[in-house]
Order: sequence, then C-alpha cells, then structure tokens
Amino acid sequence: MTKWKSLLGAVLASTSLATAAGAAELRMSWWGGDSRHTATQEALKVCGDKHGHVIKPEFTGWAGHLEKVTTQIAGGTEADIMQINWPWLPLFSANGEGFADLNTLSGTIDLSNWTDAELATTSINGKLNGLPLSTTGRVFFFNKTTFDKAGAALPTTWDELFGAAAQIREKLGTDYYPLNAVDETAALLVSLYTTQISGKDLIDPNSLTVAWSQEELARGIAFYGEMMKAGVVMDRETANAAGNVRLYEKPEWADGHIAGSYEWDSTFFKFSDPLKEGEVLVPVKLLQNADAVAEGVYRKPSMMFSVSKNSQNKEAAAQILNCLLNEKEGIEILGSTRGLPASKAAADQLKAAGAIEPALAEANAIVMAGTGPNVSPLNEHPEVRSIFLDTLEAYAYGQMDAETAAQDIIEGINEAIEEYRS
Amino acid sequence: MGGDNRFLGLAYVTPYLVGLLFFTAFPFAASFYLSFTNYDLLSTPDWVGLRNYEKLLTRDRTFDKSLSVTLLYVAMTVPLKLGFALLVAVILNYRLRAINLFRTAYYVPSILGGSVAIAVLWRYIFAHNGLVNLGLTSLGLEPVNWFGDPQNALFTLTLLRCWQFGSAMVIFLAALQSVDKSLYEAATIDGANRWHVFRYITLPLITPVIFFNLIMQTVQAFQEFNGPYIITNGGPLKSTYLLPLYIYDKAFKSFDMGYASAIAWVLFAIIMTLTLIAFWSSKKWVYYAGDRRS
Repeated sequence: MTKWKSLLGAVLASTSLATAAGAAELRMSWWGGDSRHTATQEALKVCGDKHGHVIKPEFTGWAGHLEKVTTQIAGGTEADIMQINWPWLPLFSANGEGFADLNTLSGTIDLSNWTDAELATTSINGKLNGLPLSTTGRVFFFNKTTFDKAGAALPTTWDELFGAAAQIREKLGTDYYPLNAVDETAALLVSLYTTQISGKDLIDPNSLTVAWSQEELARGIAFYGEMMKAGVVMDRETANAAGNVRLYEKPEWADGHIAGSYEWDSTFFKFSDPLKEGEVLVPVKLLQNADAVAEGVYRKPSMMFSVSKNSQNKEAAAQILNCLLNEKEGIEILGSTRGLPASKAAADQLKAAGAIEPALAEANAIVMAGTGPNVSPLNEHPEVRSIFLDTLEAYAYGQMDAETAAQDIIEGINEAIEEYRS
Repeated sequence: MGGDNRFLGLAYVTPYLVGLLFFTAFPFAASFYLSFTNYDLLSTPDWVGLRNYEKLLTRDRTFDKSLSVTLLYVAMTVPLKLGFALLVAVILNYRLRAINLFRTAYYVPSILGGSVAIAVLWRYIFAHNGLVNLGLTSLGLEPVNWFGDPQNALFTLTLLRCWQFGSAMVIFLAALQSVDKSLYEAATIDGANRWHVFRYITLPLITPVIFFNLIMQTVQAFQEFNGPYIITNGGPLKSTYLLPLYIYDKAFKSFDMGYASAIAWVLFAIIMTLTLIAFWSSKKWVYYAGDRRS
C-alpha cells in the first residue's frame, strides 16, 4: 500500500510540475516543398524542447491544402498553429473573428518586429489574425542564356520584349518564346498591364467593385492577344497541349525554349532548379512602356501564421510562434524557407549570417522597391480568379473579342464579391 | 438461430453497419438537407428552399456545359469500354498457350488504372512531345494536339477509362466460361459458323452479365474525377469539366457546399433515371436461365 501511495505521489508531482511549466501538446499545419518541411519539423522540435511543448507537424504540398484547412475549420478540428495564405483571410475571417486575436498574446509574441503597416495587412476590424511571414510579389524571371544565344538584351520595356521575341524566334526558331503566359500567370500579366495604363488595382477598395473600366480592361486583354500573335508567349492551344502541368515541370522550360515567366519572387529557386546545366535564370524589374501611369507591382503579404480560435493552448502556441519567428534558434533553422522574413529580428539575423541567397534577395528587392496601388486580397478570391481565368481562356481560343471578355469579367467579378459589400 | 448466434451475427456485421451509417447514410441524408441551404462550411446552414435547384436548372451555364460534357463522356466511354472488354474476354476464352499469363496481364491496367500515377503517366504519353505523337510522326503523320484542342481532350480521357477494362473483362470471361458447351457443339453440327455461334448463342446467354456491367460502368463513368482533375483540370474551355469536378470546385473552392450538394443530387437523379430505364428495357433484351423465352 505504501508503495502504491508513493507511486501515486510521484505521478501527481510530475503532473503538477508539467502543468506549472505549461507543457502543451500542439498541432501545426502548413504547405510547402521538401526544404520547408524539413526545416519546419526541425525548428518545431527545437522550439518545443526550449519551451517544454510537443508539436505535431501536419504538412502537405500546395495542391489541396486550402480544401484541407477549410474542412478542418468547418469541423472545428484545425491545428493550433496554421500557415494561412493571405488571400484566404476574407474567406475564413470576414469579420476578424475567424482566428485568435494575436494582440491579446502580445505579452508572449514580440510584435515590435513588424511595422504597424505590416500588421495592418493581417488585421481585420482591429483584430490581428496572423503574423506576416514575408512580403512577396510578382517579378519577371528571364533565362539569360536564351537571350544571349539570340544576341538579345534582357528587356526593360514591353516594346523591348516584343523586339527580343522577334530576334529570338528569328535566330533560334519559332518554337522559342521569351515569356510564359498561361492560367494564373496570363491573368496576372493582363492585370499588370491594365494597372499600368489605369493606375488602379482590379478592385476598388472603397466600393469593393471592379475599379477598371471596360475599355481599360479590354486594352489589357487585347495586349495579351498581341503577345500571342507576335510569339512573345505561346498561343493557348499550343500551351495546353502539355495538359495540366506546371511550367517548371515542362521540358521547354528546362531547356530554355520558354525563356521567361512572371512569378512570385519567393519561388525563384523552384524555377531555376529544373533548368539544364548552363542555363541561367535572372530576376528582372517590371516591364513598362513610357505611357504607363503606374509601375503596378503586385505585392502582398505572402502568408501568415495564425492561431486557431478554438485552440486550448493559445499561450503555448504563441510561445512557439515567437520562437519560430523572433528567437535565434527558430530563425536559424527556418532561414528563408518562407521567403525573406518579415520579422525584423529574423531579417537582421539572416543578413548578418549571410544566409540569404543573392538571387532571392535581388528578386525580393525588386518587389519591395516597386510602386503601385495597394492590392486587394479579393484579387485572389477563388470565384474572382475563376471568372478571370475562364474568360481569358475563351478569349485566347478566339471565342470572344477583348471588349466582350472585359465586360464578362467585370460583371462576373462584381456579382461574385457582392456579399463583401454589405 | 439460437440467441447466442443471433448476437454473434450482429457483432460480425456491426463494424460494417457503423461504417454504413456514419460514412454513407449520414452524409447521404445530410447532403440532401444541405442542398436546400446556403452553406459556406464555416457558418450555420441557411435554409433557402429550392433556390439552389432553381438556379442550377435555369441560370447556371457552367452546369449546362458540365452536364453535356458528362453525358457525352458517358455515352462514349461505356459502349467503348464494354465492347473492348468483351472482345478481349472472347479472345482470352480460347485455349491458348500461357493463357493465364495473358489474362493476368490484361487485368493489370485495372489495378493501376484509377491511380494518380497512371493519370500522370497518361498526361505524358499524350503530351505534344509524348509517346503517341512520337509514334504518329514516325509513321509520317501529323502530331495531334490531344489536350489543347477542345475537340480531342475528352476523347483522350475516354481512352484512359477504356484502358481500365480489366474488371469488366474478367466478369465477361467468367460468363463466357459458364455457357453450356453442348450448345456450341449442337450449333456446329447444325452448320453454324463462328459468328452465328457468337451472335445467337453466346451473346444472348451472357446478357445478364452485359446488363450488370452496363449498370456498373455507367455509374462509375458518371463519377469519374481523377483523370480530368489531374490530366486536364477540366480544360481546355471546360471541354473535360465533368460534373464531379464542378461539385468539387463549388464545395471546396467556392465554399458553396449547399449548391454543390444540389448538383450532387441532380447527378444522383440522372444516374437513377438511367438505371431505371436500363432495368425497364432489360425485359426486352436480357435472358435469364429459366426464363420462358430461353
């Protein structure tokens, strides 16, 4: 009996010790590639040990992650810490109540590492829904080797791009294209050109309707048509011949037949890694013609870490977040696996250690130096994106003219985001 | 059955019943309820009556397109697949050397067929620089744009489905082997050639199995998802945008689970109607053993 009593005493003592230390079992979910998966798991182990918590990792690739998180949130079974894409904010937290308000955890998370402007991008109705991880934007990546082979200089304006296309196709063959433009990239190129000639983002922030006039958007769409006609980009029927396959998986990308794209700065290595030996990819500033009224950079917080509003261990989750983003151990391990960190502590530490790849830094510098109207998260609302892409594809297949396409896009988007206006 | 045995039987079927109730019956009933609501997955479903169905059947152009693509896909896939499966089964019914090896080999695509890996492989085989076009150009023919041309894309996916003919083929093979050999002998003595034997003896006697395969393949074809999702993502110009893809997009990309449920129920109604028509017509062309007509 005495033996049992002492055993029970030991168990109770250890339980109370654990409680006093706030030991918690947490779950964290994210999407990404192998390097991000490996680094995050290691960082969670180190930060968990440091703060006395155990964190179960749940990670996937990009495809299907939104669906997974949606299902989990709908069922109340989401992870305590989640990596959330910035455009998902209006979907999950239209009124700011969808995630835990991290302002209430500011005693644990050192929020001074972000500027007020940065925190405002992830706040809704004054509630801080997530910590910005990095700022990202679209830049041009060009395969310098292909341009060099054709004796063409890397373009700085749209006119120069058209000139380079003619030179490349004449010297290397008509199966060479200086730029890729399908699906989302095609839509964002049209957006870029339309923003440059109008000075406005797709969505007007006050009225929450499409800001572009039909004429402005029609000019942007017609510009895409001109690019296909001049062989700057592949026509859509040829591009679709590969089926549903990513640009960086295509042999034409690897061997320089498609010699450029307009992509997120943080994805530079995803596009440079598959290139054949000797092919050199470089980030290039946004192209614009002399009549542009804005540079039109498409810049936004790339993603954020949010804490579930249903989490039973918000304080412990905050400790882990602070460790991952603001403390030496977490910063060192995570490095730039989620782009160049927005946290000042992390950015300073990585710069001092020379841990940021020059090409990535250059691509990000282009994005950060770019100017243009603020980008609304509604640009990437699934319905908005779907209307834009489907209509643009119909235009590219010659099923409608640019004016009709512009009208369909404007009407469709205005209807799709009607609920956000009330 | 004694008391103990009765409970033992119940114990055996309980895991199945629990699975059936929770993972089939409940979602089935829930989706019916949700089809009358506006439900974004994150907030409480909001009852809207028949509004989803009204929009679906009167104002949704995407649904019209998706439904016509789905019906065309089913109309192409089912006869092609059944015909091919029957042809292979007839060949494999002959006494050939190493016949079991051939039977296994022809069944293998069915085991692999529905997988993501095979869909990816299909994408590469029919790509512009893929194996099929390589073969065509080596024969001096023009390469075909299998995925980029809206006229071809659906047919390419149909071929993938037909390639998975193994399970239907095995069922046909079993049916062919169960045909009474004495009927063949009698017909041959009466001077029937091979075609006559097949047309007037084999085919009528395996009609129950043709009927079974017809129903199964039709239902499966209406539910096709993996192929179009991975190979073409419904494109180009929604020419491969089958209804299951539309349901998925509405539910998980547009967060409109109520509307997605309504589409699912319309799809269910279509499958059910076609099945009932098949059952009704079967009285005229399916012959069962002991049937007065046989």
